[in-house]
Amino acid sequence: MRLGAALLSLLPSRREPQGVECRRAVSRMMRPADFIQEVDPLVVWASIALLAIGLVMVYSSSIAIAEASRFTGYQAHYFLLRHSIFVAIGVSAGLLAFRMSMRQWQQYAPWLFVLGVALLIAVLMPGIGREVNGAQRWIPLGPVNLQPSELMKVFVVLYAADYTVRKLPDLGSFRRGFLPMAGIILLVGFLLLREPDFGALVVIVAIAFGVMFLGGINVRLFALLAAVAVAGFVLLIWLSPYRRDRIFGFMDPWQDAFGKGYQLSHSLIAFGRGEWFGVGLGASVEKLFYLPEAHTDFLLAVIAEELGFAGVLVVVTLFAILIHRAFAIGRDAINLERYYSGLVAMGIGMWIGVQSFINMGVNMGLLPTKGLTLPLMSFGGSAIVANCLALGILLRVDFENRQVMRGRS
Amino acid sequence: MKNQRAVTFNHNPLLEKGLPAWRPRLVLLALLAGSVALAGRAAYLQGFNNDFLQAKGESRYSRVIAVPATRGRVVDRNGDVLAVSTPVRSIWAIPGDAQLTPPQVRQLAALLEMDVEEVNRRLTPGRDFVYLKRQLAPEIARQIAELKLPGIHQQQEYRRYYPGGEVAAHVLGFTGVDDTGQEGVELAHDAQLAGRPGARRVIRDRRGQIIEDVEAIRAPRDGEDVVLAMDSKLQYLAYSALRQAMQTHKAQAGAAVVLDARTGEILALVNAPTFNPNNRANLSGAQLRNRVLTDVFEPGSTIKPFIAALALEHGKVKPDTLIETDQGRMTIGRATITDVRRHGALTVSQVIQKSSNVGTVKLAQRFTPDEMWRMFDELGFGAPLGLGFPGEAGGRLRPARTWRPIEQATMSYGHGISATLMQVAHAYLVFARDGELLPLSLTRLDEPPKGGRKVFSAATMRDLREMLELAAGPSGTAPKAQVAGYRVAGKTGTAHKLEGGRYTNKYISSFVGFAPASNPRIVVAVMIDEPSAGQHYGGAVAAPVFARITEGALRALGVAPDAPLAPMHIAGQPELPRAVKENM
Repeated sequence: MRLGAALLSLLPSRREPQGVECRRAVSRMMRPADFIQEVDPLVVWASIALLAIGLVMVYSSSIAIAEASRFTGYQAHYFLLRHSIFVAIGVSAGLLAFRMSMRQWQQYAPWLFVLGVALLIAVLMPGIGREVNGAQRWIPLGPVNLQPSELMKVFVVLYAADYTVRKLPDLGSFRRGFLPMAGIILLVGFLLLREPDFGALVVIVAIAFGVMFLGGINVRLFALLAAVAVAGFVLLIWLSPYRRDRIFGFMDPWQDAFGKGYQLSHSLIAFGRGEWFGVGLGASVEKLFYLPEAHTDFLLAVIAEELGFAGVLVVVTLFAILIHRAFAIGRDAINLERYYSGLVAMGIGMWIGVQSFINMGVNMGLLPTKGLTLPLMSFGGSAIVANCLALGILLRVDFENRQVMRGRS
Repeated sequence: MKNQRAVTFNHNPLLEKGLPAWRPRLVLLALLAGSVALAGRAAYLQGFNNDFLQAKGESRYSRVIAVPATRGRVVDRNGDVLAVSTPVRSIWAIPGDAQLTPPQVRQLAALLEMDVEEVNRRLTPGRDFVYLKRQLAPEIARQIAELKLPGIHQQQEYRRYYPGGEVAAHVLGFTGVDDTGQEGVELAHDAQLAGRPGARRVIRDRRGQIIEDVEAIRAPRDGEDVVLAMDSKLQYLAYSALRQAMQTHKAQAGAAVVLDARTGEILALVNAPTFNPNNRANLSGAQLRNRVLTDVFEPGSTIKPFIAALALEHGKVKPDTLIETDQGRMTIGRATITDVRRHGALTVSQVIQKSSNVGTVKLAQRFTPDEMWRMFDELGFGAPLGLGFPGEAGGRLRPARTWRPIEQATMSYGHGISATLMQVAHAYLVFARDGELLPLSLTRLDEPPKGGRKVFSAATMRDLREMLELAAGPSGTAPKAQVAGYRVAGKTGTAHKLEGGRYTNKYISSFVGFAPASNPRIVVAVMIDEPSAGQHYGGAVAAPVFARITEGALRALGVAPDAPLAPMHIAGQPELPRAVKENM
């Protein structure tokens, strides 16, 4: 019921008195000069830049494989077309998310979380979920596939912040503060490992406990928890030969460069070929069937080869700006005693930060290979939409901060 | 923990102070540190360790590929092209990529001139690479390229074309589908013709297609032309004369060779049966054999003049010394040597002119086996000529110490010794060159050859030329060797064929001679294997071929006639003069 109301409120409506501010803000956003004053320009421009670079590089990295594949019907623009549509949907979703107030987000956070868990269960059901390359991560919805684990990342940010704010008094308590969240994450983790989607699990755990850490969970408890989590991950890795192989591939990709280290060694070669300023846009050799997943998980390698260190530095810097702004916005919100908004903003910052760091670290051989895309850039509809949703919410937090500071709330 | 749980809501420090400010700072710092680490790692990989990584990359997709050199032409001594490489294209496919609609397959099959089923069968997925058709004309290849079919590719190749067809097939040989020599001059001079392929370094994608030309390591050096000593006009002359004789005499095989008596160059070399090198389907081994160089036979009477020369050279006889031929019979041990006809006492000249076996044996008996062996050896028998031609045979000349008397006797008239036609022709150079023997050459010589050696004296050779002219004259064994306008000299040979160690009633008829007799310009040797239309004597079978070749060759070479224009003999008029039967 309440969910239905929330969905209704996503639509422009004059009957909804609460939407007045919002509509005003959106109409102001249509005038560029005012828009800059209403939202954080750095977040907007960094996001646009990342989306734009991502779009170009997805095209560049996919053009050869799309042209040569029967699966894509030999259309060179196959991935470009789809990625463009995803970006358009994502930006629209972000604008809609911006129109929702943080109060509404907090209100619906538990329900969205339940929805996310339901989708994670649904994807595991035979007949509903679709399996690709041994992983059952997608729910086919007509022309597109929905990847619940990507949406779950947004929902976890919203829910963990809500949980933390509600449990502020109990955060020092192991039983009342920590255990319920741990139980919930355990459930989500179990579902994600059934797919399997280890990368999403890492991100979700990082978000959930990161938000709780920011909320003030007992440091000693947190250290203990972190130790348990690390031990758990290590155990998981050692128990699963397929993950252990990935670890070994990462330690020394040249040892088995044509087997386990194949992907990483080609990614590193792409970096080496790029040198400082790259071989030029479109001139990558690695994308020509050598580097698998060039347009998704290993997009940065193609950026590194074609645009060089300069291109990589721009991407790293843009992500750093986004992270920094997310934390700054969060800090502003907390200073305004808008704890939920603050934690959501920082949670989004951590999500973008952790996932981009892991993805780029994997590309550069700093971290073991796992299936995580580069936020805002890699090909993948659900991920792009989820990222844009999160950025819309981040901008909403900032927008509301400014409203409060101007005394409009 | 107890403490904290005891704290009341109002005293919760979090609410009093807001959320702890150091925690976001710590997390942000950690995340930004991650960014710095990433930037540092990228700088290391891209700016400092890039040599290592690029080397790794090169080892994976950089390849050195050969740039084909154009194969050189083979031309005759006047520059006429005998063999040339023309560009063609081969069509190949990656069956897995070639997803063609039925109309596309029909179009492709029509252009390839193949069955639709055959094309479909080749395009059945499973292999990564399959040739659809090799060596296709460029125009058809262009039409196929315009269809823009997925998975269908082309590659540039060369196809060898022989404008002369079968005329010089055995000399030229041919190349394989990869444009490398497989027979004849194409094989013998392969290194010179092939040139040296260049090399360039390219980058290939994982599917093997070249995407970037990195550097040219070595420019291709095109093959050089090979200039043969052959004269196309003489070659064609010899070819048509031989072909006609083959038909007339229903012969099994035949061969003819023309040498330049002044230089030792091989002006013509033909074999029959022959083949068309441009279309080598259904070839038999018999067609491919270059009999002139690779097949040995017992030369028969063509050897006799050398025995006479040896006897004259050593002063044991003079041309007019009488030799008693004993009614044409002679017994050595248990064997009897016979002449076809009784001649009684013959001069040395007449022994050659009438080709008397008994007379020749009596001359030979004046020498030790070793003396005879040395002469044969000096004339080049028993060892390959060293023309560099593949499969060249050397013939058989057994060591002198193993010769029994009967063998020495038969060897004097060309049995028990074997040689190629080219070796016999080569040896006849001594008659044409006042006793000097020159090495032969398949290729045109730009300067006079070196390495000639004197085998006989000029005086002996003058006598021999007279004898051989008589032999080819009206009262010799080969009046049909006569040529209008030129004096010719030469000797017939008719040898029983050896099959399985026994002599049979099959013959090899030959004639070796030179012209003009007054100042020899060419040496011509003709061999007809198993003439089976009634005649088998060299004078009847091989001599007319010699005459045709010699007449045409001398005219073509612009040699001044040395005989009165009125013909001494007109071939084809049976009553004029009576042919003298020739001995074995």
